[in-house]
Amino acid sequence: MERRPYGPRAWLVEGVDDPPGWAAALAAIDVPGVVEIVPAESTVVVRCIRERLEPIGAVLDIVVPAHVESEGERTVTIDVVYDGPDIAALATAAQVSVDDVVRLHVTGSYRVAFCGFSPGFAYLRGIDPRLHVPRRETPRLSVPAGSVGVAAGYSCVYPSASPGGWHVIGHTTHRLWDVDSDPPALLRPGRAVRFRMVSG
Amino acid sequence: MTTGPALRIVQVGFATTVQDHGRFGLAHLGVPTAGPVDRRAHDLMNRLVGNPPRAATIETMGALIVEALRPVVVARSTDASRHTLAGGDRFRVDAPDGSVWAYLSVRGGIDVEPVLGSRSVDTLGHLGPEGFAAGTMLDIGLDPGTDLAAEYAPARNPTDQAVRIWDGPQHDWFVGGRQMLIERPWRITNELSRVGVRLETGDFQRSTRSHRQMSSVGLVEGAIQITPAGEPIVMLANHPTTGGYPVIAVVDPDDLSSLVQRRPGATVSFRRP
Repeated sequence: MERRPYGPRAWLVEGVDDPPGWAAALAAIDVPGVVEIVPAESTVVVRCIRERLEPIGAVLDIVVPAHVESEGERTVTIDVVYDGPDIAALATAAQVSVDDVVRLHVTGSYRVAFCGFSPGFAYLRGIDPRLHVPRRETPRLSVPAGSVGVAAGYSCVYPSASPGGWHVIGHTTHRLWDVDSDPPALLRPGRAVRFRMVSG
Repeated sequence: MTTGPALRIVQVGFATTVQDHGRFGLAHLGVPTAGPVDRRAHDLMNRLVGNPPRAATIETMGALIVEALRPVVVARSTDASRHTLAGGDRFRVDAPDGSVWAYLSVRGGIDVEPVLGSRSVDTLGHLGPEGFAAGTMLDIGLDPGTDLAAEYAPARNPTDQAVRIWDGPQHDWFVGGRQMLIERPWRITNELSRVGVRLETGDFQRSTRSHRQMSSVGLVEGAIQITPAGEPIVMLANHPTTGGYPVIAVVDPDDLSSLVQRRPGATVSFRRP
């Protein structure tokens, strides 16, 4: 783990084994002056008020990764209709059959590695290596909410309609993002996720 | 005690949104902070009408015209002036000469329904009330009960001064690092929004410390990312929570107001803090 300066109001902590767990451990300490804790693939960015930059840096050096909050351990199961427009293209790119795409996707056990891109958009780690394919060459201008996507070693479910470059392999009616819920996102960093095939 | 809307939008203007200080504590869920691009101008306009700094104002690139539906006290950054409008009075808000963003404050603050703790319109994550049009009615909050500050003209943003930059976490991915940005002035391109502003393309050589592919990393306001094509992009108030380009430098928060008010074609010089 290495702490790098990130301007007068943030630190970047690199080489974190379990960013969601580490972020949860830091959040649990409730350090005064911390504004945002943002886990990503292998890093955590800690945003803070300027006056507290140095003391917070010292705290970051002694944070020990804890087990993620128990709520994060409760598995969310998402029902998917595997009827996405890119399922055949993904099968071709991965050199498997369409049935294999569904089988491999539905048997995986996933965990939210981090959120980003848009509110409630979770990057799900745990996809079968045979389904590791790059993003579409041309992103779609609009992908409907509930679209289930695969790209770049992750799976995702679009929480709201947005542009997107992931291969869309299916859709769900599960509501992943609701500003009237607290917290508003169903898929939060650290949370375990499974997909279940249903018929449309 | 008057009730009902206090303002009606006559002409919606360019990039017109409601902004307060933004959403906090949700970046780990992918929720951008949002808030005013020029926080300093936003806060000053609130001060002119006796509001707390975080009261919601209207941000615009200009050509905004509102009509008062009853007596209201307003201020605009166009000329840093405060006015008492009577019902029926129209009021135009443009960016000050040579700058980009303008603010309209109203005593009591703009009162739209908060979403996730903020009235800010998030133009990236699409939270808060978008789609203002001519005819949109706006409510205002309760009178703050403060004394109005003596009229004063806040100093203009010193847009001719060098902007201070700190090392970004990936500064050593580039030969020369942050010095690359300091050694010459940079032209502002016309790609600017609440999310970020792109500077002219430069000749950024990757160093031996550079990783071939970068993973997504959390972003901060003022972060200067370098794209593979050598385009520096400065992240502004509505930046996404994570990004995938290396960050060579970070603009000092106190100098952001000066940077964001520069128009396309103008230049910016950087210096060490």
